[in-house]
Amino acid sequence: MSEILKCEEITKRFGGLTALNKVSFNVVKGEIFGIIGPNGSGKTTLLNVITGLLKPDGGRIMLDGTDITKLEPHKRVKLGIARMFQGMRVFPYLPVYLNVELVARAVYNNARLARAKTSWALTMSGLLPEAAELPIKLTPYKLRMLEFARILVSNPKIALLDEPFAGLESSEAESMIDLIKKFNSLGITFIIIEHRLRYLMKIANRVMVLNQGVKIAEGKPEEVVKNPQVIEVYFGGETRK
Amino acid sequence: MVFAKRSTKDLIIGKTPFFAVLAGLTLLPLLGVGGYWLDVLTKVNLFLLVTLAIDLYSGTTYYLNLGVSFTFGFAGYALALLNIYYGIPIEYSIFLAVPISVFFSLVILLPSLRIRGVYFAILSLLIPIVFIGIVTAQPFSLYLGGEGGLRYKQLFLDFARSLPPGIRLTFLQYSYYYISLVAAVIGYLIAYKIGFSEFGFMLRAVGQDEELAESVGINTLKVKVIGYLISSMYVSVAGALYASMRSPVTVDLVVPANTLVPPLTSAIVGGLGTIIGPAIANYMLLLTYESLWGLIGRWRVIVYMLLLITIVVIKPQGLVFRIYLDLKKRLRGVLLE
Repeated sequence: MSEILKCEEITKRFGGLTALNKVSFNVVKGEIFGIIGPNGSGKTTLLNVITGLLKPDGGRIMLDGTDITKLEPHKRVKLGIARMFQGMRVFPYLPVYLNVELVARAVYNNARLARAKTSWALTMSGLLPEAAELPIKLTPYKLRMLEFARILVSNPKIALLDEPFAGLESSEAESMIDLIKKFNSLGITFIIIEHRLRYLMKIANRVMVLNQGVKIAEGKPEEVVKNPQVIEVYFGGETRK
Repeated sequence: MVFAKRSTKDLIIGKTPFFAVLAGLTLLPLLGVGGYWLDVLTKVNLFLLVTLAIDLYSGTTYYLNLGVSFTFGFAGYALALLNIYYGIPIEYSIFLAVPISVFFSLVILLPSLRIRGVYFAILSLLIPIVFIGIVTAQPFSLYLGGEGGLRYKQLFLDFARSLPPGIRLTFLQYSYYYISLVAAVIGYLIAYKIGFSEFGFMLRAVGQDEELAESVGINTLKVKVIGYLISSMYVSVAGALYASMRSPVTVDLVVPANTLVPPLTSAIVGGLGTIIGPAIANYMLLLTYESLWGLIGRWRVIVYMLLLITIVVIKPQGLVFRIYLDLKKRLRGVLLE
């Protein structure tokens, strides 16, 4: 399988603080790649660098063989990167369908195609009945579905999900897992940041662990959870003893 | 299909207020409104363009552009300079002054479009102040007329002089009024179309969460620049037409209290981003302000400002649009019964 995303020695500093320190990893086409780590370990910063919201101070990002390190965020979307934000970010005063259709119009130059894709994405995420509502009327789960519809409509090669299970009840989280699996089987590669490890470990093919901006482990979920350094970071030295 | 199609009755009800106001404004001079009030209405019609410009850009993106008065005044000065120094008749100067003013507004404010919030507002407010300083300081004042301004032959003046003395002024007032009305109507229809088009929603997306908009594929800088261009074009048309009807052009046109505060207030009280609300508020507020002169004289400034402050404090999200929706709902109920 070929690499869809390749991050080489990504470094990001905020003044004197090094948020990411030469982080390198590859994501293979069609896999679900998990990123875990304690708060402040640099997970969201890494997604911000991949999506272009933050410019890295060092390193290179390759998407499907193209160097996108200096590309603006909106251009990366057109190349196939889509993102779900931590804490459910939508346009609060635009109806549900416009939240999705604007993405479609930005990606496709054809208005008719954009509308068709919007209808499809809303149907797939179960939001068609609420299409004319404002997002403020949606439940947290439906808001997540709206973000998911936004991802689907852009027809991405790779989707970056930042804590997709946060704020969801277990049945809703299970539905989200099914949805991720379904679209993964249809060809979308996923990078998922998640604190609720039991959900992530169910679906991730590989997991990378960050701590204080440094990659400390990478591998299959069952291997990573046994890694002494990961146990140290997650449970602390005293617990280990 | 996300929305059901509107019925013919709904469409008629929806358009009725617009056509009623349009008919009223068209017939006013024929019903005997003239003199001072026709001058006031001409100014209010042109200020509608400025109100719409503010609503289209600042009302959707929340980039508060306080440099509007610079664009308004610059268009006036461009018109005067083209006429005085290049001998271009006023009729043609209007068409040339608009792109010149848009170009300079864009060049001056373009670098600041990357910053937002209060910093953008402060920076944009500095531009008219600096321009006033330039116009009134030597050696520029020698060419730009200083505080006395630039004098030129206003629109249709030569033709009016060929008319009998008794109707000269009336001719000028009527023609200015109808030109301003046509500009206002066209401006309103285009603003409405843009405001609720795909581009208009992109402007709103930028205003609601710019980082998210960029992250989902919207070229936010392009959207902001085009939005700003459209807005500047509206203000430039208003400024050029206003100056073409009133000689001399002076720094009064650039003073924010004269050409920024009234339309900005209309946009806020009308309900930012709603297009209809600010348009109605433009007529209501400016005509109220002029009416107060006859009732309470100089006290009108204090009374008017207190009224505005009260409205903005009570309904910061705008008042007129909500009243308009309520009235429309009632009208619908009456007509459909």
